[in-house]
Amino acid sequence: MKKDLIRVMLIAIMVLSLLVGCSSQQTNVRKEETNEKEVKKDSIVMAIGSEPDGGFDPVIGWGRYGSPLIQSTLVETNADMKIVGDLAKDYTVSEDGLTLTFNLRDDAYFTDGEQVTADDVVFTYETAKKSNSIVDFTVLEKISAKDDFIVEMKLKNPESTFIYSIAKTGIVPEHAYSKTYGDNPIGSGPFKFVQWDKGQQLVLEANEDYYGTVPKMKKVTVLFMTEDTALVAAKAGQLDVAMTVPSLATDEIEGMTIYKAATIDNRGLTLPVVPAKGEKTEDGYPIGNNVTSDIAIRKALSYGINREKLVDEVLNGYGTPAYTESDDMPWFNEESKVKYDVEKAKELLEEAGWVDKDNDGIREKGNQKAEFNLIYSSGDSVRQGLALAATAQAKKLGISIIVEGMSWDEIDKRMYEDAVLMGWGDQNPMETYLLYHSSNKGQPNYYNPENFDNPIVDKYLEEALKTSDQEKANELWKKVQWDGKTGTSALGEAPWVWLVNVDHLYYVREGIDVGEQKIHPHGHAWPLVANLRDWKWTE
Amino acid sequence: MNITHYIIKNFMKMILLIVLVSVVTFTLAVNSPIDPIRQYIGTGTVTDDQRDSIEEYWGLNDTKAERFVKWSTNLLHGDFGDSIIFRKGVLSVISEKAGSSLFLMLSTFTLTGILGYIIGLFMGRFRDSIGDRILKSICITFSATPTFWVGMLMLIIFSVKLGIFPIGFSMPIGVRADEVNIFDKIYHTILPALTLTLVFIPNIALHTRSKVIEVLESDYVLFAKARGESQKSIMKNHVIKNTVLPAITIQFGSFSEIFGGSVLAENVFSYPGLGTTIVTAGLGGDIPLLLGITIIISIFVFIGNFIADLLHLFINPMIREEEI
Repeated sequence: MKKDLIRVMLIAIMVLSLLVGCSSQQTNVRKEETNEKEVKKDSIVMAIGSEPDGGFDPVIGWGRYGSPLIQSTLVETNADMKIVGDLAKDYTVSEDGLTLTFNLRDDAYFTDGEQVTADDVVFTYETAKKSNSIVDFTVLEKISAKDDFIVEMKLKNPESTFIYSIAKTGIVPEHAYSKTYGDNPIGSGPFKFVQWDKGQQLVLEANEDYYGTVPKMKKVTVLFMTEDTALVAAKAGQLDVAMTVPSLATDEIEGMTIYKAATIDNRGLTLPVVPAKGEKTEDGYPIGNNVTSDIAIRKALSYGINREKLVDEVLNGYGTPAYTESDDMPWFNEESKVKYDVEKAKELLEEAGWVDKDNDGIREKGNQKAEFNLIYSSGDSVRQGLALAATAQAKKLGISIIVEGMSWDEIDKRMYEDAVLMGWGDQNPMETYLLYHSSNKGQPNYYNPENFDNPIVDKYLEEALKTSDQEKANELWKKVQWDGKTGTSALGEAPWVWLVNVDHLYYVREGIDVGEQKIHPHGHAWPLVANLRDWKWTE
Repeated sequence: MNITHYIIKNFMKMILLIVLVSVVTFTLAVNSPIDPIRQYIGTGTVTDDQRDSIEEYWGLNDTKAERFVKWSTNLLHGDFGDSIIFRKGVLSVISEKAGSSLFLMLSTFTLTGILGYIIGLFMGRFRDSIGDRILKSICITFSATPTFWVGMLMLIIFSVKLGIFPIGFSMPIGVRADEVNIFDKIYHTILPALTLTLVFIPNIALHTRSKVIEVLESDYVLFAKARGESQKSIMKNHVIKNTVLPAITIQFGSFSEIFGGSVLAENVFSYPGLGTTIVTAGLGGDIPLLLGITIIISIFVFIGNFIADLLHLFINPMIREEEI
């Protein structure tokens, strides 16, 4: 009986030692690999979130949240979000804003050796238009090749923001395109596609024949893993860059520092601007709120909420105060940055007749109590934290907010009558148009549930879209926020109380220079590598 | 009744199961609060016209009944439809992912089956000894521990502290696919398989333990002892014979649970497989893919149980005579 026991244990020990033996050999190999890497310092391994499900095909959306890397675009945005040439040396816009002409460079080649010509551009845009994907080319009427290196686009109506969409659209080769292109892409961008192991990793190499500056990072491996696992992998020394979130970023990792990317990944409150008069949307959901429809309430909240405090309390300091949907973009109006001023907020409320008559800490105007509902999508801890912290601050102003978490399908029904904690942040002023134009008011698309409708703002928005000159368009976008008399910011009608921009966090190994980063959009991950071709090891 | 009848009867049962599973999954999926378009667009700025055309393309404009009829008629022709997220045939998405999953699940299945049974036998045989008590507490601890947590723990111990196992994936980082060999794959599967094994062993081990104790306390074992049979021959002739069948039933019945567990383990170990895919499909509202995977899994689980039934037939002569 004892013998049996000993026998079993012996076998177990043998099996175990076999396992350990095999694996320690493996570790040696692996350590050698890492040493080699440290000597050369021209490769990088990173985990920056999830993979694009549809593969690396720009026609169905690859590259729209950063840069397509493998493919090149007609134009691109620089670190200041200004439009500069890429595949196109230059471009012109006709006076009426309807025709865009691009002059292509003649030294761009796909990595299979074929030259990039106007036909490839036409093919890309025509295919994308038919793709029914996130690539929205509805405004494009017709695209044609004037000769091998000149492309002409005709728009259905002038749309100055279309150029930002062009700047995100990688050009695919007509001769090598098929339904499975996204699995094995060929492009003319700074990086060459090597391999994609689905659910695991993407391997890229520097494109030595790239027409621009050849990237210094010769080999890039992007791993697809959850933030928790990425943190573990970073600790094990296997990663050079790891995406993380504020709640995990408290861990110190040897040899790595936290990189904070500034963003317009914003959060704010939508406040219904019309009173409740029994009106309903097309789908039958009630419109309007008798408290938030008073401009004094909206402005008081804009002035009386301490955004810095929200950043510290809710985001552990990883964020910046938000004043509009597009802080610090070229189309942002500096004047919109209102100063935190409780006295002014209280003054505004009192002037408008909101006084606390019954001494319960909440102001009243006539029979109306200064009290409204604020809803947020449950399960999102940042939104919940912001909602609660903003509520606490509003209370000090004498405004009572009742916070409720619910699912999006319930928010869909109530967003026209209650305040909602929402977030946006696209690197494209089209968002400003969609958020504030009266054509979107009360529509089931989250853009304008406040029912905001201002003819002067509408006029600026429409003109900004029609303008063929980007500089002029930017001036008009700024006027949307504040033109001296009215606007969408806290100075004007304040249909939104913008609260914070959430920083995007990455652990980055010391010695990596991530170049000059653009302000990141809503959507954590790929924007970081938009300028991957400028990255380098400094040591 | 002969064996052909038996198989045909079970095949009919499987068809019925598929019909029921697809109706239930479809009903749940279309009524879930997830708006697939919203999930797909995210915060991208898309005009209403484009939104409409995406809806049209995905067939979301038809009524729910129409969508189900369309989907099921296609299925009858062997067409599982296209995944809306991955933009390719559902079957090709599944076949891309199923390989690794199958490997992980089968190794877990075999490991838990064999090890679990042996441990159970040992615990039952040496009931209340120190070894039994230690193993029992380990079993109870692990059966009460969530899979992802065990996975994380394994990662931290074996990958970070000891550095003897990779941090995940089914192949080495940054290595070309053609340089990856089968040993790499096995090496990368050890940790997730071990995690799943730890989580699922208690089930079969504890079950076998109680069966063994039951048998050892039975009258026929007492009689055998009285006859002077040795412990060894009692174990061989009575205990194993009477406990192996329930163990097989339990093990094949846990097929679906192992799948469920592998979903979590795959996420922790960044292991590419059906588990991560079904999560993507579910969260993205990709109904064709969700239905496709669900059906494949139900067939899988059904076949697992069917094999258990067949094994019963061959192992246990009593059942063979009654059933056929």
